[in-house]
Amino acid sequence: MNHREIEDQVYELYVLDVLETAESEEIDAHLRNGCEYCQAKLLQARRVGAALSGMANQVEPPAALRRRVLASVAPRAHSRYWWYSIAGLAAACIALLALSIWSVQQNKTVTTQLAHMRAQRDQLRSALELMSRSETRAVQFGNLENAPQGRVFVSRNGGIVFVGTKLPSLPTNKTFELWVVPATGAPLPAGTFRPDANNASVNITPPNINASGAAAVAVSIEPAGGSNAPTTKPFLIVPLA
Amino acid sequence: MRQRRTSINGDMADLSDGDLIAHLQQRRADAMGTLYDRYSRPVYSVFLRVTRDTALAEDLVQELFLRVWNQARAYNPQKGSLGVWILFIARNMAIDYVRSARARFSAKLRPMEEAEYRPATDPSRNDPESTIDDLRTVQSAFSYLNQNQKQVLELAYFEGLSQTEIAAKLEEPLGTVKSWMRSGLSRLRDAIGRGGDK
Repeated sequence: MNHREIEDQVYELYVLDVLETAESEEIDAHLRNGCEYCQAKLLQARRVGAALSGMANQVEPPAALRRRVLASVAPRAHSRYWWYSIAGLAAACIALLALSIWSVQQNKTVTTQLAHMRAQRDQLRSALELMSRSETRAVQFGNLENAPQGRVFVSRNGGIVFVGTKLPSLPTNKTFELWVVPATGAPLPAGTFRPDANNASVNITPPNINASGAAAVAVSIEPAGGSNAPTTKPFLIVPLA
Repeated sequence: MRQRRTSINGDMADLSDGDLIAHLQQRRADAMGTLYDRYSRPVYSVFLRVTRDTALAEDLVQELFLRVWNQARAYNPQKGSLGVWILFIARNMAIDYVRSARARFSAKLRPMEEAEYRPATDPSRNDPESTIDDLRTVQSAFSYLNQNQKQVLELAYFEGLSQTEIAAKLEEPLGTVKSWMRSGLSRLRDAIGRGGDK
């Protein structure tokens, strides 16, 4: 095919891509030869092809579309809001992280407090069980106005429950320590405790302490965490014999 | 022919298409406003004519201008005027929509670089008004075509049907359809040619 065989309107159909495949391929092949005449025809055909859009009824697009289009190509205006959004999101993340850490710490605190309360509950339950035994005997101590008062419950099986009030004030870095004093030998540590708000306490000797042959119980003030042997003179000694 | 130039205060409305594309290539978003004002009406009309759906036509308009914005640097003014280029791309997008069996334009749009633009040896009129003038000329001349000429041109332009497909659709001989097509295009081409000489 040469350009003399191409009718004028074929160029328009060619640029509109509505020619049959064979016709289109023939023109493609001809154009590959660099025919300037046909290039000029194509340029004119392209202009006609674009103008054919005028066949559509001309309708004004809605005003909002202009804003939408311009907004979609205005990266700088958007980027400011984008950075604001990122900054806001980052602040929210930091706040959430802080809240999470605080919550974990609070949770740990609550868990610790709960564990402590459970230990106290178990101790009281054990103390009540020992005190309710028929073979348990009670030894009362203290009859002075401002001196410690209370009872020591001694089970034949070896357990001891110490119930005391009016205990002396205790520095925060100190603790009370209960001692089981055997007939012979050194006192055995029987657990540390702190008084409650009324300077009272209930304490039970640990299961591994055999107090069946004890001659007395004593209470001393020891460094926090307790001692293996009394480091201060016991402020209370209750003979059990 | 009136020449448009960039004013000192940067007013974009009077920019020529050549200056307008230069601003777009520099990523000046304010030039998009002028481009939109100049070409949104014809491209929206084409999309609306093809899709018969205002929401979809608006989506296509947005997609078109976004593509122009993103591909402005790839535009070569020696290959044709900006207006012809945009309308050509718009028509391709519309036809891709029509030809898409799934009618999902986003998956079927041709990349802008694939638009059919062969080197121009004579970029005759490249002033900003030529394309819009051509549109007005076609609008005017179209009303003088007979119903058969209008119908075959519309089927080819808005639905992308070949002459054979049009003949089958209209149940008319192929030769008759070609004759209608030829005479219709000839009248429009002549009208545009006369408009260009004014």
